[in-house]
Parts: sequence; C-alpha cells; structure tokens
Amino acid sequence: MSGAALPAARRGALPWWLRRVVGVSRRSPTLAIGAAILICFAVLAVIAPWIVPHDPVAANPRNVLASPGGAHLMGTDGNGMDVFSRVLAGAGWAFGIAIPAVLVGIAVGVPLGLYTGYKGGWADEIIMRVFDALRVFPSIILALAVVAAAGPSLFNVVLVIGLLDSPVFARVVRAEVLALRNSTFVESAIAAGNPTWRILFVHILPNAIQGAMAQSAVRAAWAVRISATLAFLGVGIQAPTPEWGAMIRQGAEYLVTGQWWVGIFPGIALILMVLGLNMLGDGLQDLLDPRRKAASK
Amino acid sequence: MSLLSVEDLHTHFISRDLDNEVRVAKALNGVSFSLDAGRILGLVGETGAGKSLTATSVMGLLRPPAKVVKGRALFEGRDLLAMDADALNAMRGRDIALVVQSPKSSLDPLTRIGDQLIRIHRVHRDATAEQARARAIEMLTAVGIPDPARRMAAWPHELSGGMAQRILIALALMNRPRLLIADEPTTGLDVTVQAQILDLLRDLVRQTGIGAMIITHDLGVVAHYCDEVAVMYAGAIVESGPVGEVFARPAHPYTQNLIGAMPERLKLGHARTIGGPPPNLYALPAGCAYRDRCLRAADVCATPPADMPLTDGHVARCHRIEVAA
Amino acid sequence: MNAPVLEVDRLVKHFPAPRGLTVHAVNGVSFTIREGETLGVVGESGSGKSTIGRTVIRLLAPTAGSIRFRGRDITRLSDAACRPLRADMQMVFQDPWSALNPRIRIGDLIAEPLKLHTRLSAAERRDRAEALALRVRLTPELLTRYPAELSGGQLQRVCIARAIATNPKLIVLDEPTSSLDLSVRAGILDLLAELKEETRAAMMFISHDLGTVKLISDRILVLYLGSVVEYAPSDAVFADPAHPYSQALMSAHLPADPRAVVRRHVLEGEIPSPIALPPGCAFASRCPVAVERCRGSRPPLEAVGGDAAHLAACLRIAEGANRIPAEALHP
Repeated sequence: MSGAALPAARRGALPWWLRRVVGVSRRSPTLAIGAAILICFAVLAVIAPWIVPHDPVAANPRNVLASPGGAHLMGTDGNGMDVFSRVLAGAGWAFGIAIPAVLVGIAVGVPLGLYTGYKGGWADEIIMRVFDALRVFPSIILALAVVAAAGPSLFNVVLVIGLLDSPVFARVVRAEVLALRNSTFVESAIAAGNPTWRILFVHILPNAIQGAMAQSAVRAAWAVRISATLAFLGVGIQAPTPEWGAMIRQGAEYLVTGQWWVGIFPGIALILMVLGLNMLGDGLQDLLDPRRKAASK
Repeated sequence: MSLLSVEDLHTHFISRDLDNEVRVAKALNGVSFSLDAGRILGLVGETGAGKSLTATSVMGLLRPPAKVVKGRALFEGRDLLAMDADALNAMRGRDIALVVQSPKSSLDPLTRIGDQLIRIHRVHRDATAEQARARAIEMLTAVGIPDPARRMAAWPHELSGGMAQRILIALALMNRPRLLIADEPTTGLDVTVQAQILDLLRDLVRQTGIGAMIITHDLGVVAHYCDEVAVMYAGAIVESGPVGEVFARPAHPYTQNLIGAMPERLKLGHARTIGGPPPNLYALPAGCAYRDRCLRAADVCATPPADMPLTDGHVARCHRIEVAA
Repeated sequence: MNAPVLEVDRLVKHFPAPRGLTVHAVNGVSFTIREGETLGVVGESGSGKSTIGRTVIRLLAPTAGSIRFRGRDITRLSDAACRPLRADMQMVFQDPWSALNPRIRIGDLIAEPLKLHTRLSAAERRDRAEALALRVRLTPELLTRYPAELSGGQLQRVCIARAIATNPKLIVLDEPTSSLDLSVRAGILDLLAELKEETRAAMMFISHDLGTVKLISDRILVLYLGSVVEYAPSDAVFADPAHPYSQALMSAHLPADPRAVVRRHVLEGEIPSPIALPPGCAFASRCPVAVERCRGSRPPLEAVGGDAAHLAACLRIAEGANRIPAEALHP
C-alpha cells in the first residue's frame, strides 16, 4: 500500500532521488556504505584513463622503487611504473573480472538450480552431491590447478571463477524453488495448462531470483579475491598488467626490504573493494527479504 | 462499575518509508466500549477493522511501530494504559487472559502442555508444584479433554486443532482471570468442533461469572453466543448494543450491509454494491470513514459523526441513521 | 436431462505418509455433474473434498477408480496429454492472494489461458482480457496493475476471469469465498450465479460453509473421511437430511439471527485420522444412532425412501432409525 502523497510544499527541499537515498540509508546503512564505496571505484575505473598521472604500464628503469611523494603519489614499483596509476587502472581490471565471472556463475548455476529444485528426484540428488563435493574441496586449489593447466589468460580465469561460483547460485535458487513449487500460484499455472518450461521461467524464476541477486555482490567480492590470489600465486594475470593481485605479489618481495608502498597500496584498494561488495550484498539481502514479505500483503 | 471500560482509544502505526517520508496509519480511531462481568461481548468487523488490535492495545502488547496515542482502558477502574510494565505484566495471564488465534502456533512447541499449564500458574499465583498440577488437571477436565492426567504429558504437535484450542482456553483460565478475551477462537476449526468450543466458553462464563469478549468476523457466532455486540469499521466502533436489538434493527449502513450479506438473508441477484476495498488507514477521509462506500452518504458526512443513542444500550455512530424494519 | 460433463466412478486417492503409512484421503467416491449443474461438495477437514477437486481435473493422479470428462476417460492420461484439456476444465482456488503470481500483471494473468490454448494475437488477447475484466465487474484500468495492489474481492474476480477465459465446460471452485471478507462474499456469489446461467458450465463448488453452498448448488455431496455419506438435490438435503452426519452438520450451522431457534446436535470427539480408517462406517465412532452392525462393514449408498435421486450411506435408514433423537439436540 503506497502512502498518501503529501502536498509538494510540505515535502521539503530535497529532490525525490535524494530522499530515496536517505530513506534507504536509514533502512540499511550497510547497503548505503557498500554502494558508496563501489560507486567510487566504478567511477574511478571509468575515468582512470583520463586521470592517471602516468601510463600504468610504462616502465621507467631510471626511477624504480621511488618513495611516495612528489610526482609519484604512491611511489613506483620495481619496474619504475607509477603505483598510483596502476592502482587506479586496477579498479577497471577488478570489475572486468568480477562482472563476467558472476555472469558466468549465474548463467550456469541458475538454470541448474531451477531445474533440480523443481524436478527433484535423482537428477537433484546427483547434482547436489556433486556440488557438495566441490564445496568441500578448497576452491583455491582447484582454481590453481585449472588455470595452471589451461594457461593464465583472462578468459580462463573468468571461466574458472564463474564455474566455481555456480554451485552457490544453484543452491540459492534451488532453495527458493523448493519453497515456491508447492505454492498455489504454481498450482494455478499448472491448472491453466502451462508447460514445464513456462512454469520454470515465467512463473518461478522471477520469484526465485531475489536470493541470487543478493548473492551476486558477495560472489563478486569472492571473484576479485580469487583472481588476486591466483595472480599472487603466479598463475593468474601476470605483470605488467595492473591487476591488484599481481601488484601485491610483486610488492611482497619488496616488503622485507622496506619498500612497503609497492604492495600495501594495492592491498588497501583490494580490501576496500571486497568490503564494499560484501556490504552491498549484505545490505541487499536485508532490504529485499523482510520488506518483500511485509509489503506483499 | 463495568469490568472493562475502553474510552476513546487511538492507536497509530508510525514508520518511515523508503522515501524517508513519515507515514502514519491510523488503525484505531476513538474506540469506546464497556463490558460487564458475566456478559459476553462480541467484537465484529472485517479484516483491518482493528478488532485484534483493540485487544492487543488494551493489554499493552503493542510493539513498535504501533503505539497507543490517546485513550484509556479501565479495568476495574484502573487504567491499563497508564500502568507501568511490571504491574501490567502481573495482571496479564492472571487477571486478564487472552486466547489467541492459531492455537497450534501459540503453544510452546518444546514444552509439554502439562508443564506449560503449571508454569503459568506458578508464575502468577505462588503455588507449589502439586497445587499447580492439581489445578492443571482440573482445568483440563473443565475444558473437556478426555483422560486429562495422561494428556498432561502430551506435546503440542500431537494435538489436533480443536484440542489445542481447548488447551489455550485452559491456559487462560488457570489463574481465574476476571476478564477473558478470545481472538477468533474458532476460525480454522471445523464447524462441528466450533460448536464444542463455543459451548464450552459460554458455559464457563456462566459458571464463573467472568466477563468475556469474543473477537470474530462470524455473525452467526455473535448472534448465538454473545449478549452484546460492537461492530467495527476502520478502527472505530460504528454500532453497538444488545445483540437482539442490533440484529433486528441495525441502524448504521455498514451493519445493515453486513447483516444483509449473510447467506440466510441474501437473495442472489440483489446484492447491492456492499463490498469494497478496505479503508486506507494511511489516508482516511475526513469525517466518516465509511463515506466512500456508503449509499446514504451526504454532505454532512464530511464531519466526524458522533455516537447517537437509540433505544437503551443501542448506539450508532452515524449522521444518517435510518433504522430498517 | 443434460449431457454429463464429469462422471466420477469409485474414485480413490491415497497419499504416502512417513514411516510407510498411507493417508486415505478419498475412498470410493462416485458422482456425476451435468451441463449447467452445480454440485456443492460439503465436508470438514479430512473429508477429502479438496483432494477430489484437484483429482477430477487431474492436478493429481487418481489411485483407483475412473474419471470421465465429456465422455472421455482421463483417469490415466499423462500430464502432457492433460494439458490441452485444461482449456475446458478450470479451477478457482481458495486464497486469491497466493493463487496469482505476484510478479505478473493482472492483464497478463487473465490472458494467460488464451495464450496457452488459443492462437489469438496479442492485440486480440488484450481485447478479450478487457472484456473478461468487465464481465467480472473490474475496471479495465486494473489490468496494468500487479496483484499486490488489489483487494481480496478484486483478486478473486481476477481468478474467476482467468478461469472463464477459455469458456471451460467444467469449473472447480475450492472454497472461493472462504478467505474473503463477509461483505465481499455476496458480490462474488452473485457473479458466480450469473456466470452459471450464462455459460452453462458444470460447476463443482467445494465449501465447508453450508449457507454459501445452499445458495448456489443444485445437488449436494456430503463427505466424511473420504466417503460419500449423502448425495441428493440441494433442497432435499437441507430440508430433510437423511444421514446422521448431515443432520449434525446442518444443525451446527449458526444463522446470523439471534431470534432463530437453533436445535443442535454437538458431536462428541474429533474427526478420526485418515491414516487409520475404522473398518465399518467411518462416522460410527461419533454417531449418536450407531449400533454394533455399523462398525462391521461400510454401508453402501442407497436410495432414501425409494427416491433414486436422494442417496445416503447409512444402515439405520432402512430401519427408520437414522434421525438424531430430540434429546440429543439442544440450543
């Protein structure tokens, strides 16, 4: 039930979208902060090519390992490349890995979850046990093995992370489908003569997808972390690509010798982004769940 | 002095929506009624009228964002709404008892029913375990549970709907309350079981002389079991009085429609447009809340109607009272 | 006599329960519904009335017995084979809030059967949906809304519009007014009565509320624990119920009139569980006129007083001892 609209004069000077922002922030501060962090990163990622003070992949052997300050806000790394520019460019890479990986996870996991949740029976049992086995296996090792064998390309990294993500999406969607498949509107859809594919995609999917949507943000955080870990371990994206994980890998070598800036700055950026994604995911879950239940009647 | 006297009760739900606007739902708008010992009052209304809310407001069981913003609820002369939490807590379950809807989900699933009965008695009445147990068996017998001593060890999930409802009544009566409020005590029960439960309630009231208020949407229950009736719409009591009088000569248009909609009185094909969307509690019209659906509405209905006394005890809140024959 | 639309013969439906037990929901139910006729199916919990409703339109597969729809045996059809039939047999559910997909617009919900079963274009479907909305007395502007924005009465009208969209020959209504407010029920019943006249569809009206059933039904089927106890024209059952359970049920109904003199027989005890059915008459454990013989074997459905249209399943009728004695009735 939407509230009665107050006369415009009484609504205060704020435009409607700002009011919505304030309203949502009060309801879920986590969501607000997470979204704020991500928006900053997204904006930086987009405008990075124009605001980087130096070319992120331009090696400058005459200025290696310079301390932060002056022309190099965050110093330079072992190849003389400007850390600040690389950190900014890395934001774009993080999104470039996280988003496709999550999309792959959804494309594979959601249909699987829909089908097994609805049909049940043997197919459901087998697929769920396979997923259980996958979960028990440390995913890092698995990702490591696959990428090491297939080669450290962006495509492989995205594919592996996406496939490793899919069980989570399948599980979340399946849980919703299990709850929905006995509901009256599904029965009504069957009574009207819907074939199974329509029941799944037209009727059940739109109602089952909320959980998956909230998961996306959390899975994206995981994707960023895993890709960074893979790069750190030497099997993912390699230098000179300005990917944060690769940068941290290089920076680890220099930590002991005192050039802390090479690894710490990309590390902070990574932490912040993962935090932002997690908070966004958490906040979305909060917002979507109880409000939906309360608002639907 | 009446057992329970509610005066001008207003309860609002105050919250903020996603646009950061404050929204106020005026769920109760000046509810007033009184109930005497030994009498059964039927509180009737449709979904959203505020019947259950009246009970929870009076008993101090509201949770945010609901709040009583005005009014008094005098129980034996003391205002329940002005009492502090401890005093009110002591009265609930002891002097005033509430029997809620959905009995199966109202019992503690992890405790045997005998223990639940004993627990409520010992909390309020300082009894020993043996005394409490004896009283529990006494109450189980009174509500017609066969083999009560053995049933004390039963778990709530083993009970059928009708049994669970009887247990709730037993729980309510353990501490000899002086006022019993039963919220939809028979909704969801089979018709044949409903009759048993209602007979039980009526007999208990007659025997113990307590006052009872039955909240229901079933006019048949009210017609047959209640002495007085109060009809609610949009958070206000639009008509009240002795049952025989109100059913024979309903004065408020809503009551007339409600009684006219009963299957016994209905002739198909003659249904006047009596139904309609429930009132929007966030935006009640000024004046009479029933104005939008009322066939007799006139300009004067834009001002709030007052309680018009008719014959003794029969009151209706309407500007355009026309008593049908 | 009109052609039969639904012929159900000794229908049985059992459900598996945990620990190897079985829920005997429906135990040998037979009835016929003809064109233009409304059968009121009455019973309390455990009577099997909802299960019968769902089984006859093949939302559930019967365990035994047969179902003939317009002369065709549909008892053993696969789900896929049943789908084209659904244009002709439809259902209206009890709770309109949960019977409609909350994420689909009203217009699309009403038009869905048209999309599934006809070759109408999108524009034609839109027009038909609008016509249907007007027929059930909804304003067309509601077609673009979502279910959450409508009231219970309006939603049930949407469900009815959806059900009549393809001009079905059989409509099963499972407690269509039980979840609705009192003042709204009358409007829905009015609508159903009109549609009954207009479409001449066979209707099965399932309800526990005798008052509503009486208004709209031509014949009544009274069920107890999955068996038919009485099957007769509506007037006959309400005026002079033959079976003791029917008598008790009728007497338990409370009219909304304090002046009405109510003489009720309040049954003792509760309805037995459908898992462990007693061997003889299912009602014997609570019946005020039962004798030892009643617990022996299930009484067959027989004509009452030579009237072949009025059937009841009670051994005591032939002896003239089926009436609940006056002493057992009280206000």
